[in-house]
This record gives sequence, structure tokens and C-alpha cells, in this order.
Amino acid sequence: MPLGTYKEAVSARSTDKKILDVSQDGGIVSALLCYALDEGIIEGAVVAGTPDEDWRPIPTVVTSSDEVIAAAGTKYSMSPTLSVLKEATRQYGLEKLGVVATPCQTQGLRKAQAYPFTRFVVDKIKLIVGIYCMENFPMASLDTFATAKLGFDSLQDASKMDIGKGKFWLTKDGEDSGLAIKETHGYEQAGCNICQDYVAEWADVSTGSVGSPDGWSTVLTRTDDGSNIFKAAVSAGLIETKPMDEVKPGLPLLEKLAKGKKDKNTAERERRAKMGVKIPTIY
Amino acid sequence: MLVSNFLIEVTYLKDRVVISPTTRQEGHAELVMEVDDEGIVTKGMYFSITPVRGLEKMVLNKAPETAPVLCQRICGVCPIPHTLASAEAMDMALGIEIPKAGKLLRKAVAAAHGINSAAIHHFLVAPDVVPEDKFATAVDSVSAVRKVVQYVVDMCAGEGIHPSDIRVGGMARNITPATKERLIERMTAFRPQLEEHVEFIKNCVAEAGLPADLGVVNQPLLATDATYGTNEFDMDIFSEVLPEAWYDDPEIGKRGCSVIPLLNGENVETGPRARMEKFAGFKDKGVVAQHVARANEMLKNYDACMEALDAIDPSAPANVSYDKRGTGELGFGVIEGPRGTDVHMAKVVEGKTQFYSAIVPTTWNIPTMGPATEGFHHEFGPHVIRAYDPCLSCATHVMVVDDEDKSILKNEMVRI
Ligand SMILES: Cc1cc2nc3c(=O)[nH]c(=O)nc-3n(C[C@H](O)[C@H](O)[C@H](O)COP(=O)(O)OP(=O)(O)OC[C@H]3O[C@@H](n4cnc5c(N)ncnc54)[C@H](O)[C@@H]3O)c2cc1C
Ligand code: SF4
Ligand SMILES: [Fe+2]
Repeated sequence: MPLGTYKEAVSARSTDKKILDVSQDGGIVSALLCYALDEGIIEGAVVAGTPDEDWRPIPTVVTSSDEVIAAAGTKYSMSPTLSVLKEATRQYGLEKLGVVATPCQTQGLRKAQAYPFTRFVVDKIKLIVGIYCMENFPMASLDTFATAKLGFDSLQDASKMDIGKGKFWLTKDGEDSGLAIKETHGYEQAGCNICQDYVAEWADVSTGSVGSPDGWSTVLTRTDDGSNIFKAAVSAGLIETKPMDEVKPGLPLLEKLAKGKKDKNTAERERRAKMGVKIPTIY
Repeated sequence: MLVSNFLIEVTYLKDRVVISPTTRQEGHAELVMEVDDEGIVTKGMYFSITPVRGLEKMVLNKAPETAPVLCQRICGVCPIPHTLASAEAMDMALGIEIPKAGKLLRKAVAAAHGINSAAIHHFLVAPDVVPEDKFATAVDSVSAVRKVVQYVVDMCAGEGIHPSDIRVGGMARNITPATKERLIERMTAFRPQLEEHVEFIKNCVAEAGLPADLGVVNQPLLATDATYGTNEFDMDIFSEVLPEAWYDDPEIGKRGCSVIPLLNGENVETGPRARMEKFAGFKDKGVVAQHVARANEMLKNYDACMEALDAIDPSAPANVSYDKRGTGELGFGVIEGPRGTDVHMAKVVEGKTQFYSAIVPTTWNIPTMGPATEGFHHEFGPHVIRAYDPCLSCATHVMVVDDEDKSILKNEMVRI
């Protein structure tokens, strides 16, 4: 089961132009958060904004649709998202919280929910939207891609950042520049090379671009809550869907990449274990 | 654990009743009562057997911000006053004027904690004053009260037990407008419940059959403020003596683990009753009066909390940046904690803490509590002690452990 446990897999897209204008893919993350906020399912959410527009992800507590949309789009660097959960549940007083999380962050959250280490924090989380993740980069790596490899004056000149079709893309003045993924190897954070989870297997709903056409997202609903919220947002007309077997490249590609990550990173785990390096447990 | 489940030793010597440790209080102390043929206490001596509060030493030569973080661990029952007193002492030692919103948040937190701590005390004394058939009601009421006020502490100070967000220079963050609204809403809805709790406790105390004059003492009062506390402390009238010099019994003098703080050479009474007498015209004395004052103070703290919450401007800064080097002068943090006046003192030179001292509420009361048992049957001794809600855990136990196998080599410091 390279995709973990899920109820339903569909291709989907937000119907809100305001979201699609700024979202990374089908705007599913933002659409779900906006819906959950409007319906009172959550009172706020922790997302990764970049307030200085310099691509550095800054964990941000949002309590309105406008704030959700302002933080849309992928920043390919590590967002210390979990570090603001406390503030979200304290000074912000949020009792029903949504979180956008990479697979590793999702694991951390589920562990925190399973073990009694945090008091009145993780019990407030009502929705975890997981985003697919193959690897993540320190800010210095992104700077290197922009300046040394793609010839930008500065990373800040990029208006969009994306990974797809085998390349790392930066967009500047409407023009896309691509860097072959193998050129990025060695620049990812080292932990990503032993990470087994591509599709946020422990989230309520997971989403990413792979498997669906451009501008659409592949959605895996996993828990009852996640599935109910997603279905309700579809019924409310905020999200349109297509069956996975009607879209190209479809679920097989997602399965292939998820399995590929597990295989490759299992080999790396074994290599490190042989050197006597301590390896975290797989869940 | 609040309720001590150690074996209690009650020893009857010819003319002495010794209770060790005294129970349903935080930490360990011993009560020695000399009694006459009728069992009436002729001399009461109460002393701490919870030794070595090492925290004042641990903070030395460290950054000033270390003090509130470590010193809040002085106690798990009253961590809020210790954090506040520590932060206030450091603010003064660094010459910081904290912003209004930060001060209001601190006040809201202190008042909410005051209610919480009184409720915990009601749980501890319930077996003494609450009739069997109302016991469950009492426990439920305590839990319900605590839930609301701890929520206020959680939201404003980050954590209900050891608050992470009370900082040198103010508070880590301000609350949001939505949080302010929610806190006021919950506290408003909570008022009738709190009033009911206060009435319930006062009725139980009134009907518990405690002698009217039990525990009456006429010591000078220590109380600096009706609720939060001022940072004023008169060093000129303050002195400390060692237990050897205080207790007539040399054996007790040797075993007593806390110094005896005095004002103008006299031991004092501090706590809710002292505050109510000094600032609210409350005149009654003794055990019953202490219970009544503590219950009434819950409503005073309620008003103080609401007043502070109401006045908070959520858009204002809650902290200031500051110069860490220190003024080199002694700074005082004087907080009116649930059990009385909590005094922390600090001096910072070139960015490092050079002096730190804390005189915690129960330390003030210890020399007063023993004599308060006098004149009544020794059976009432524990009632007198509990009326002060003593908290002796404001200390660190020290043991000598074998480096190799971690076995305990020496634990005579933990004398229970
Ligand atoms: C490091 C990284 C690697 C990824 N790799 C893949 C991949 O290999 N394949 C794939 O299909 N998808 C991948 N994704 C997910 C993809 O890029 C989109 O984020 C996802 O499809 C959601 O798009 P959307 O239009 O639904 O969301 P939007 O509506 O655009 O919202 C995106 C949400 O993600 C949050 N966010 C942005 N950056 C981060 C971050 N660094 N950490 C946590 N949250 C963040 C934003 O705050 C926003 O709430 C990756 C994402 C990240 C962060
Ligand atoms: S690859 Fe794994 S470890 Fe790295 S950021 Fe993504 S989920 Fe986290
Ligand atoms: Fe205490």
C-alpha cells in the first residue's frame, strides 16, 4: 500500500477563481480551509506564509479566508509549522484548529496526539490537510538553484516556484526556468533521504499535484472527518471533481512515485544503519 | 501529587504529640505539640523538613532570563506567583518598565491563579469540613472552578502549570481580540458558579464544628496589596534567623530546614486573611476566618481578573526589548500569592545574575503556625496547619547517588 489507507481518490480543483489565481495546484488546500472556516468546523489554521515574499516559509496562524488565500502556494523549504501550534491554541485561543502539514509533520502531530506530551494543544486539531512531499530544501539550497544554477540575481525575483515534469521550476516575468531534478540532488535536507512517506499517510485529507492534469490536484480522503469535510465542500460547490481513472496520468503514477520513495529511502536507511547511524522508526 | 500518601507517624511521647509529616499540604513538615494532661497544646512547633531549595543557587552566573524559567519550578502548586515574582524582580534589576498590556496580562494571570489555588485548597481541606454526603459535590465544584480559571492562565501565560509566556520584559505575546472576548464571555458566565462555590465552602466551614477561636494569633500582618502585589520591600525592617536560634528545642532547631524570616524582629502572618484584614476591613481571626477570607478572596480575584482582561488592548505590545546588562541594584518582585507574600530579589551585573533570593509565603508563616495550635486540643492541630494552606515543596530534595549503579547512598536530607 504505497499510498497508505484511504477511502477515496479523486482529481479535484477549487471552483473559486480567487484561490486558483494563487494556488499551487488545484487549490484544494486553500478551498478546504476556507470551507472549514466558513462552516465553523475550524476556527483557524496554521499555514506557511511568506510575509516578506522571499520564499522563506513562516508558520502563520490564520483565522479568515483572506488570510488563507494570502498564504497559498508552495514554498519548497522547511516551515517550522508545529512550533506555532501552542500560540494558536493559547494567545489565539483557537479550540478547533486546522493544520497544513508535510508527511513528516503529520507524523509528528499524530504522535503528539497519541502520547500525552502536550497539554491542550493537539486535542484542538480538527483537520490535518497533508501535502505530498518528495523532499524539501534548506533556504540556502533554493538560493543556489536561483542564482548559481538558473542565473537569477536573487531568489526573490521568482514569482512562482514548482516541482513537476522532472524539473525544479522558477518563474520570472512570466517565463519559466527549469532545473533538472537530478541537479538538485544533494541539496535536499538529509533527513528527506530516509523519509518513507510521500503522500501524508496519516493526514485527514492528503493532496498534491501528481496524478492529475495541470491545475488539478489528486486528493486522497483518509479519515471520516477528512472525507466528510471534503464531500461537504464538493456538495457546496466549492470543489469540482473528476474520477481518477478519467484523468491522465492518473493514480498509477502516484503509486509508482510513492513506492519509489519508499524503496529508495529504505535502501538509504539500510546504508546508514550499516554505518551505525541511528535511524528513526518507520510508522 | 497533592495528597501525600506517605506513612504518617503520630508519636505520643509523655507530653508530646508529633505529626510527621503533616498531610494534605504540599511538601513535608513536622508538627510537634507539647500537651498537658487534657491533651491541650501548651507549645506548638511547626517546621519544614523539606530541605534545600537550590534554585537560587542554580540561577547564579546565568543570564537573567534563566531565573523565571528555573524559579517557577520552586513549586508545582504556586508556580504562577513564583514566575511573576521572578520576572518582576528581574524587570527591576534590569531597570525595565514593562508595557501596560504586559502588566495587565500578568494581573489577569495572577488573579485567575489565585482562584485556582484556593479551589485546590478546598479539595485538600474537604475531608475536614465537607460532610460525607456533599463530598462529591465539593470535588466537582473544585474541578469546575479550576477548569475555567486555568483556561485563563493557559491562554494568557501559555501554560496553566509552569507558564512559558511570562517573560522578563513583559509577556511573550498579547492575546488576540477574539481571545479577549472569549475569556470575558467565559468568565462572565462563570460568576454565578463561583459565587455558589464560595457560598458552599463557607457554609461547610460554618457547620464543621470548629471552635470559634481556634488558631487565633495576633502577629503583625504581611500583605502588600489586595491582589497582585507591589514591588516594594523594606529591607531595613527585614531580618532572618536560623532555626537553631528560633526553636527552643535544639533538636528541632537542628532539623528545621527553612530560615525564619522576621519583620521588625517579629514573625508574621501572611495570606488571604492578612490581605483581607489589611485591605478589605476583614476583622475575624483564626482557622474559620482564614477559610472564610480565602473563599471571599476568590471573588476579589475574580473582579481583579475581569478588570485586567477588560483593560487589555490586544493590539498593544506585551513586552519591551531591554538592556540585559543590569543595573547592579537589587530588584524586588513582590507578588501576593495565594498563600501570602512571595518575595524574590535579584541583582544582575554585566548580564549575569549575581544574587538571587526568594522568601516564599509559607516560609513567612512557618514560625506563626506552630504557636497557632496552642490552647486547643491537639486533635485540632492539623486543622490549624491546613488553614494556612502551607506549601513546603518550594524546595529541592537532595540525595547522594552512586555514579555507577545509581543506588541511593545518602538520603537523610529527605526526612520523612
Ligand atoms: C516541500 C514540498 C514538496 C512537495 N513535493 C510534492 C511532490 O513531490 N509531489 C506533489 O504532487 N506535491 C508536492 N508538494 C505539494 C504541492 O506543491 C502543493 O503544495 C499541493 O499540491 C497543494 O496545492 P494546492 O493548490 O491544493 O494548495 P494551495 O491552495 O496553494 O495551498 C498550499 C498550502 O500549503 C502551505 N504550504 C506552503 N509551503 C509549505 C511548506 N513548506 N510546508 C508546509 N506547508 C506549506 C501553504 O501555506 C498553503 O496553505 C510539495 C509541497 C512541499 C511544501
Ligand atoms: S521528504 Fe519527508 S522528511 Fe522531507 S520534508 Fe518531505 S515529508 Fe518531511
Ligand atoms: Fe508552593
